[in-house]
Amino acid sequence: WRMDWKRDQLEAGRFIKRHCLSFLYKACVLFCFQNNAIKTSKYNFFTFLPMNLFEQFQRAANAYFLFLLFLQLIPQISSLAWYTTVVPLALVLSMTGVKDAIDDMYRHNNDKKVNNQPVLVVKEEKWMNIKVGDIIKLQNNSSVTVSTLFPCNLVSFGFSGETNLKVKQALTVTSNLGDNLEKLTTFKGEVRCEPPNNRLDEFTGILIYEGEKHALNNENILLRGCTIRNTDWCYGLVIYAGHDTKLMQNSGKNIFKRTSIDHLMNILVFWIFLFLVGMCSILAIGHGIWQTQNGYYFQIYLPSEETVNSPGVSAFLVFWSYIIILNTVVPISLYVSVEIIRLANSFYINWDRKMFYIPNDTPAQARTTTLNEELGQIQYVFSDKTGTLTQNIMIFNKCSINGQSYGDIYNMTGQKMEITEETEKVDFSYNKLADPKFSFYDETLVEAVKKGDTMVHLFFLSLSLCHTVMSEEKVEGELVYQAQSPDEGALVTAARNFGFVFRSRTSETITVVEMGVTKVYELLAILDFSNVRKRMSVIVQTPEGKMMLFCKGADTIIWELLHPSCIPLQDVTMGHLDEFASDGLRTLAVAFRELDEKVFQSWSRKHYEASTSMEDREEKLGLVYEEIEKDMMLLGATAIEDKLQDGVPETIATLIKANINMWVLTGDKQETAVNIGYSCNMLSDDMNEVFVIDAKETRNKMKPGSLLGTDPVTDLLTRTEMKTFIVPKEVANGSYGLVIDGHSLAHALEENVELELLRTACMCKSVICCRVTPLQKAQVVELVKKYKHVATLAIGDGANDVNMIKAAHIGVGISGQEGMQAMLASDFSFAQFQFLKRLLLVHGRWSYIRMCKFLRYFFYKNFAFTLVHFWYGFFSGFSAQTVYDEWFIAFYNLIYTSLPVLAMSLFDQDVNDLWSLRFPELYEPGQCNLYFNKKEFVKCILYGIYSSLVLFFITYGSTYNSVQSNGKDISDYQSFALIVQTSLLVLVTVQMGLETAYWTAVNQFFIWSSLTLYFSLMFLLYSDGLCLLFPHTFKFMGTARNTLILPQVWLTILLTVALCALPVIVYKFLRMEFQPTKVEKIRWYPRSPFYLRASSRRSAYAFAHQQGFGALITSGKNVKSRAPFGFGDNYSFHT
Amino acid sequence: MACLFRGVVLGGLVPFAAGPLSPQNSKFLPKPMSHQESQEMKSNNCQGLPSRMPDNTAFQQQQLPAWRPSLTARAVLPGFFTTGVFFLSMGILLILSAKSVKEIEITYTDICSNCSKLRENASNFYKECTCSISFFIPEKMPGNVYMYYKLYNFYQNYRRYIISRNNRQLLGEDITNVENCAPFQRVSNDIPIAPCGAIANSMFNDTILLSYYPNSSTRINVPLLSSDITWWTDKHVKFQNPKSSNLASAFAGTVKPPYWRKPVYQLDQGNPENNGFLNSDFIVWMRVAALPTFKKLYRRIHRIQQFADGLPAGNYSLDISYNFPVTLFKGEKGVVLSTVMWSGGKNFFLGIAYTTTGAVTWLAAFSMTAVHLKLKKKKAFFQC
Repeated sequence: WRMDWKRDQLEAGRFIKRHCLSFLYKACVLFCFQNNAIKTSKYNFFTFLPMNLFEQFQRAANAYFLFLLFLQLIPQISSLAWYTTVVPLALVLSMTGVKDAIDDMYRHNNDKKVNNQPVLVVKEEKWMNIKVGDIIKLQNNSSVTVSTLFPCNLVSFGFSGETNLKVKQALTVTSNLGDNLEKLTTFKGEVRCEPPNNRLDEFTGILIYEGEKHALNNENILLRGCTIRNTDWCYGLVIYAGHDTKLMQNSGKNIFKRTSIDHLMNILVFWIFLFLVGMCSILAIGHGIWQTQNGYYFQIYLPSEETVNSPGVSAFLVFWSYIIILNTVVPISLYVSVEIIRLANSFYINWDRKMFYIPNDTPAQARTTTLNEELGQIQYVFSDKTGTLTQNIMIFNKCSINGQSYGDIYNMTGQKMEITEETEKVDFSYNKLADPKFSFYDETLVEAVKKGDTMVHLFFLSLSLCHTVMSEEKVEGELVYQAQSPDEGALVTAARNFGFVFRSRTSETITVVEMGVTKVYELLAILDFSNVRKRMSVIVQTPEGKMMLFCKGADTIIWELLHPSCIPLQDVTMGHLDEFASDGLRTLAVAFRELDEKVFQSWSRKHYEASTSMEDREEKLGLVYEEIEKDMMLLGATAIEDKLQDGVPETIATLIKANINMWVLTGDKQETAVNIGYSCNMLSDDMNEVFVIDAKETRNKMKPGSLLGTDPVTDLLTRTEMKTFIVPKEVANGSYGLVIDGHSLAHALEENVELELLRTACMCKSVICCRVTPLQKAQVVELVKKYKHVATLAIGDGANDVNMIKAAHIGVGISGQEGMQAMLASDFSFAQFQFLKRLLLVHGRWSYIRMCKFLRYFFYKNFAFTLVHFWYGFFSGFSAQTVYDEWFIAFYNLIYTSLPVLAMSLFDQDVNDLWSLRFPELYEPGQCNLYFNKKEFVKCILYGIYSSLVLFFITYGSTYNSVQSNGKDISDYQSFALIVQTSLLVLVTVQMGLETAYWTAVNQFFIWSSLTLYFSLMFLLYSDGLCLLFPHTFKFMGTARNTLILPQVWLTILLTVALCALPVIVYKFLRMEFQPTKVEKIRWYPRSPFYLRASSRRSAYAFAHQQGFGALITSGKNVKSRAPFGFGDNYSFHT
Repeated sequence: MACLFRGVVLGGLVPFAAGPLSPQNSKFLPKPMSHQESQEMKSNNCQGLPSRMPDNTAFQQQQLPAWRPSLTARAVLPGFFTTGVFFLSMGILLILSAKSVKEIEITYTDICSNCSKLRENASNFYKECTCSISFFIPEKMPGNVYMYYKLYNFYQNYRRYIISRNNRQLLGEDITNVENCAPFQRVSNDIPIAPCGAIANSMFNDTILLSYYPNSSTRINVPLLSSDITWWTDKHVKFQNPKSSNLASAFAGTVKPPYWRKPVYQLDQGNPENNGFLNSDFIVWMRVAALPTFKKLYRRIHRIQQFADGLPAGNYSLDISYNFPVTLFKGEKGVVLSTVMWSGGKNFFLGIAYTTTGAVTWLAAFSMTAVHLKLKKKKAFFQC
């Protein structure tokens, strides 16, 4: 019967369902709806080899080597045996291939696991077999696996990892179907909806059922990846499956990010390539000249080939031969090695216990494995506030009731006391239903409650009634609240503890245990929260029969709705609110109104009309709400503490010391943001000034004269084309902070003033942008990226940070609090903001240093290796004769020298992690790009050239006209080759030793085993047996035995190494003496008076700071757009 | 087991430092105990570990014990002084050794100019040309004396030249195998050349005889040995004659290289063992030189009679059968008589290079010491 339903349904549904879509999509959808099977894997057994090879050869480097291989097949050109290119290429290809294969196997397994989850499709079925149009049954606590539109029941749900529950509701027409399978299977309807997209908070569609159209929106849809709560079951119609689901659409798209070292490397490889062509041209010209002067006459012994009839042709061929020989300046293994190093350094992040958050069981995760070294170069950190700096845990901290402020405690002399761990908590034992985790310190409030103060009672009653929290009571007396926003939860919990326990609700009633007495209030209406209204109200009928309206909302809004008689109370309360706000607390005003029966009845009718109207429903409802929310009596105000995460102030202080500019971008209002700024060390009292908003004036104060045309930067600005230009670093005459709000930012981000903003902001120590939209967050990041050309990092936890995370060079997601969208978009994720400091100062710094050392060494060793061929060209008639044995060329990069450098780039540490954290200054070289830049590159190239000269000419000198001590040959080609290559190998190994700062057992092992391997392979490759088997491939038979026993050979090797290594040691020593780097200072002079930071942990908000920023004005629209769910959204006075 | 390990390594946070100056051992900075660490301590009992907690191995936590060497003055300066001393003494030793080598070189391209001219014309190929050169050895050449021929401007290291040989043929396995031997693979009527290739074809084929004149009337031929002038491995492994009772028949079906006067099995008529691919002169020639100017061992002086202690001082003459054309490619050739020392022939390069390096190292060591001592005072007032 299921099939019947399906046929009917889909015939109708398929065609019409998406008929508002683009034509193309419709055409596709007509025949191929996605089934729910998810395929993230790329290959199968048969397609792997061809597809993978095809992909690999699309990379420029691999294609280049393939081209070289073809060149080698031309006999006139081939200057190297085929295996010198094939062996490395094959190794590189197979390594990448194996990695791809493992990745793909992992994906295959993942797919299999996901696809085989059981699910109830009216008949038991496997997950992957679900199709669009199926009706599935979901049970409590089960996770949703497809995007379903669901026709039955009311459900609240949360994304996994998301603490806030959202309420979802079925359409009334479909919820009537209930649990009736028969009705469900015969259900006939059409759904038209939008094509699959990645917007998690938006959905529009229409259900046509029995000829009537019903609008579908976000509150009617369940998304894949969320968990069902608070309902035993629900049925749903599958509308997106598999890759069409919003979650998959969201996770699939990743912008390909590259590090600045990557860019630099590309430039350098291009340079090297030009250099290569240059060298080859010189040699080719040399060859032409040699041919006319010598080669021509030498023809008696070596007649030239028929096709090569002139020096020009010969030179042309030699050019390509040299391209083959000298190609090792751009070694094929470079890219593979870089990938391996990055991968390993990413694993270190995953493995780091100090970035593991025990309470959540969340390890840090490097989701992108190609950006590690960029972590060591960050100059700007853009942080979200809520959930990132703060825990998003709200604690009812203070309140003001009827002009009386509660929450502070005073000692005997009437002095305010600070609340510490030892402060005695209020005893709530009189209330059996109290939440034991709740703590409050001010006894007077409890006394007031116990005394039966009416206003206090009314205050708490309103808190326990006016909300959208759901309660769960699995065990008698153990209430669990599930709130959409944590502040709501905090308020209801506070009311519960003071004796007004919200126990349960139905759609018509609310049960409250009032000081031990259970009362049932009839819920007449909920006046929804919206971003415009910034308040919510409930209308209830008390058991006594009174009609009451309770309202809570933003203070400024409530003030306007109060009865004039409240003005004196309002003034007092306002004072309290100022105090609360300056403590960094979030405030809400609470008011009530007693309603007349008649007034309510007439209003109720209007309300019904408005709520059933099809057009402009929202607006009409808003008007109706306003009608009744007036003449209210003020009860008081609440103050909720938004707790900082552990270690946030220390982390920020450390980052600022590391010369990282910290910008906080928040949707919060200005004063809250400023307060958080103070409490997490971003703003401090000893700052010269904290500016708010006005950009132009500000800069004048910080750097007098910078507005005048004579200022060099201004001058530069006016003269340079805007787009292509980098704002130089400017230094302010003191330490400043900047606070700017969303409105001003909107203006400031306009084309003509954005530079003003940037110049001003970049001179400030810290910048706080408040009330910004997600888009603005990304714009700010883009602005800095565009004009500063520095590495930026964005850290956030919520959906509103996704833009910013994607825009920045590195996006970091805080996993855990607000869901997984930010994490999915991020490159790195971990559970706590404080881990950022470890990520940057330890992992980032090490990765950067390792990568730089690796690149410097790698370029050096290949230049030293390759350029010897160049010098040899001058003595071998520019004939493209290699200096080394071909086997040595094949193995040099892959076997002989790869392991030590790999060990160094996996283990090297200049200082250990504790010191990296203790001295954030050590981070600066990375920011200034000091360890690997064009200058450093040129240095190592020059050193490589010097080494190759030494290698060649020392060997030349020592073998020229020389013989063995038994008179036999030593200046033959093979001995010469062996001496040069042995010297080279010893030299680069010694050089490696000089570079290594951190000698672990592995380093020792790799270095010594590389040398051993070289010598043993040498004897193996030059052995009798191999030579007798393949006399053409192993030509060097006996060379090692005859040469390596001679003293003058070892003396030559020693001299070469000494001549190359000693200058380096001298240079390093003198540099250390004259200009010690920070690391060396720290390592060598531990006695110097470094200031030590006391690492005492302060509780958030324990700072005293300057008071007040004028009136507490909350203006503008709340920018975090969250579509309202069900009957009320979270009170997003936070972001 | 895993738990045990965790415990051990945690306690083992200390071992990742070594050396007295490494910061971790410094007493001045107390090791901070981070919040995380204390968390770890608390939850380090076996049951309470969260499931996704990474393993606490020294490798994964990047705390492998390590040695952290550093270029301190205390290590560098003595090192430089020692290196300097070593290089200087080694250099002097090498110079003295090279100095004690006696060497005489006679370039005969110009002296035998009429022969040189004659050889410029290929049509005179079969004409004999001999040339005699007398010379004087002022000092006795003690010990083993070796006779070399030396060629100038001969590019044995030219790529096409180097590869123009067939090692399989030279192994005697398949003498008709002339692969890689271009442009001397076969003669016109398609018969393979043995030994094939440009190297073999261009083999040096002058004969050099040395005579000693103890007085103006007496002439003694200096006995010369052609044995043991090759690498042992070449003579015994790399070059082998085809297996056959008679060498001449073994090479049947091949022809001699075009520039040769005699086939390969008749190279040394005095010594039947020294023929075919095993001819020592041939083997020496086939080991190509690295540079365009090179000398190759031709003969050893047989130390008998007057020559038991080497070559006595006095008058000598060389009788050269001039066959090898060099003037065509602007080359030159010569004969070198030389004794050897442990360090090889008369080559001062290594000695001078060592002495110079040693001296410069000392100079560097002194100046670094001066710099270090001067800056040391400053460092006392060092402020970060």
